[in-house]
Amino acid sequence: MSSRQLSLNVMLEDRWSDLVSSPVFEETFANIPAALLDQNGIHVIELNPPAERAGIRPGSSTSQAIARAPELVLHTRALLHEQHLQTTLLQLAYSYSPFIENSAPGICTLDVKKTRNQQSGVRKLLTQLRAIGLKAQAGTGPNPEIALQAAKIADPILEISHDCNLLQSLSLESLGPSPFLLDILKSWGVHTLGALARLPRDEIGQRLGLEGLSLWERAAGRSTKALQFVQPSETFEESIDFEQRLETLEPLLFILRRFLERLSLRTEAVYLLIAELHLNLILENGEKIGRSLQIPAPTRDVDILYGIAVQYLETLQTTAPVISFHLEIKPSKPHGHQFDLFQGKLRDPNRFFHTLARLAALVGTEQVGIPQPINTHRPDSLQIQMPEFDWSWHGVQTKRRPKVGPGLRRYRPGIIANVELIDDKPVSVQSSLIAGKILEVRGPWNLSGNWWDHTRWEIREWDVVLENGGIYRLAQSLGQWEVVGVYD
Amino acid sequence: MSASPKIIELRKILAERFPQEKGTHLFTPTGWPPLDSLLGGGLPKGSITQLIVPNISAGGAIILHEIIEAMHKHSQCVALIDGKNSFEPSIDYPLLLWIRCHTATQALKATDLVLRDSNLPFNILDFKQNPDIELRKIPGTTWYRFQRITEENKSTLLTITRHPIVSSAQINISLTHQLLIDDLTSFRSEIVKHFSLEIIRRRSQLKYRYA
Repeated sequence: MSSRQLSLNVMLEDRWSDLVSSPVFEETFANIPAALLDQNGIHVIELNPPAERAGIRPGSSTSQAIARAPELVLHTRALLHEQHLQTTLLQLAYSYSPFIENSAPGICTLDVKKTRNQQSGVRKLLTQLRAIGLKAQAGTGPNPEIALQAAKIADPILEISHDCNLLQSLSLESLGPSPFLLDILKSWGVHTLGALARLPRDEIGQRLGLEGLSLWERAAGRSTKALQFVQPSETFEESIDFEQRLETLEPLLFILRRFLERLSLRTEAVYLLIAELHLNLILENGEKIGRSLQIPAPTRDVDILYGIAVQYLETLQTTAPVISFHLEIKPSKPHGHQFDLFQGKLRDPNRFFHTLARLAALVGTEQVGIPQPINTHRPDSLQIQMPEFDWSWHGVQTKRRPKVGPGLRRYRPGIIANVELIDDKPVSVQSSLIAGKILEVRGPWNLSGNWWDHTRWEIREWDVVLENGGIYRLAQSLGQWEVVGVYD
Repeated sequence: MSASPKIIELRKILAERFPQEKGTHLFTPTGWPPLDSLLGGGLPKGSITQLIVPNISAGGAIILHEIIEAMHKHSQCVALIDGKNSFEPSIDYPLLLWIRCHTATQALKATDLVLRDSNLPFNILDFKQNPDIELRKIPGTTWYRFQRITEENKSTLLTITRHPIVSSAQINISLTHQLLIDDLTSFRSEIVKHFSLEIIRRRSQLKYRYA
């Protein structure tokens, strides 16, 4: 084992890894032959071991494959999904080394010359990939080619030095030569990398040209290919087109949780939090449903994010089954706040806003929040505002007014009443709530406003004491009497 | 082992700077002196306190406003579960979470949510305007459930009712007063002077725990 490797290659095991990552599927596909078809659904491009044992080969047509294994499970390749997986691979690799190459689908090469703790870093990277359902293997070597070959035979990590003979026994197919060149080499009796590397370089060049020379250099581990560094995109999205339309919520929630787990890990790799979820559903009838869900306190906690998304999805009613689901997140930098000794912010803002949403569902959106006065003298004019994320009890100053009289408990809406007047003063009241003789009266208090437009209002108010001892406020507007509240 | 002199000194400084926080591990001070002094520091934490206001116009709303304003003065958030959507905000209450319910059932569900949330240490459930027929239907188990939640979260629940209905309340306070029409033009500080708040039942912590 060399003291310092130069190149690390991480490759996803195959496209199957995503499909078979959940325990249920893993168990299922462990014994059932399954195949992945090209995006047109015509030819087999990848197989699992049971399918290989059944005699199916990549390139077989669907009918040929089914003829060999009638119980074969077929899946169509999803290119968009594979792109998201590749982005995930690059983003996670980027957290380990800033020098990465997007080598091929499912393959990423990292320059780790200046990276410390290679072994632990690679193990962590593979663990992260495994956590989101991707099986991967990694190989390290003095150059990208050796690292790639090492990754192909790694289980799951293989570290190879320059003079290692382990690669010599690999077949020529591992280098991916053209069929023409492969046929020539096999006709010479050259089947392994070691056999090819032992041939004289110049002779190979003369007989097989540049392609042969390049193949020899790769087999001999002398490839001098420079890495083409890339920076992974900063978009965080996952999507899936369902092969079978979804008519119930459970399968969608299963996918949602997996997406969130992946996105959470990807954001963790770049030290960000999730501040917003964008959910997009495409229905069978072509209708698109999109919704952005703000996360009050940005987090990577999958349970919290899942809870917020589920709360929305559970109330969603669609006109047709779902055929596609797309989830995108908006990352943000971590908020920093420090709790004071005696004052502070909400302990768990996400839970609080989750509770607020449940309260709003219970009593109505306009019925929960902070009361805010409106700039008018009209009685009972106020608006309700939802608390902000940073709703805190620090440094709040309220307007101080002289506190006069008892508080009013208002009947909303006012209770319609019949009021008897003598000398333009109420003497008795009849309503569904109160009835009886008025003992004492104060008023009237005339209020009016908006006289300049059609929203003009005018109210006359009276404060009265009834025989039951209650002090009530009566109001007359447009000839209609109402009991509007009781003083308490 | 006794605390170090530095800790003692720090406690002394904090007690001088934040007098309202004294004994906060046991009580939630309402900030309204008549109630706090009656209860010996504030409403007991992790329990339910019931304020019984039998008269129609007795001053229950005054106490409600006074407590909310005092909590604001001390920069504390309050949740008000308004059983009959009858609260009338008289000034700005930027730290008041007002939940406007229309029935007792709705208010109980809202209370359950707010208590379980545990973000707000002080909650008020106002049932003064709800009809007795609604309140009598509330099973006693509901109040014991609330008691368990407050105990677990160390939060405080103050209920305002016309009759004693909260079977699991640790302290029952009665306000017997009758407002007069002249009080409508009096300063609240003058009205409050005539209030008679009385503790009519106080359970010991042990009895309360196993109630």
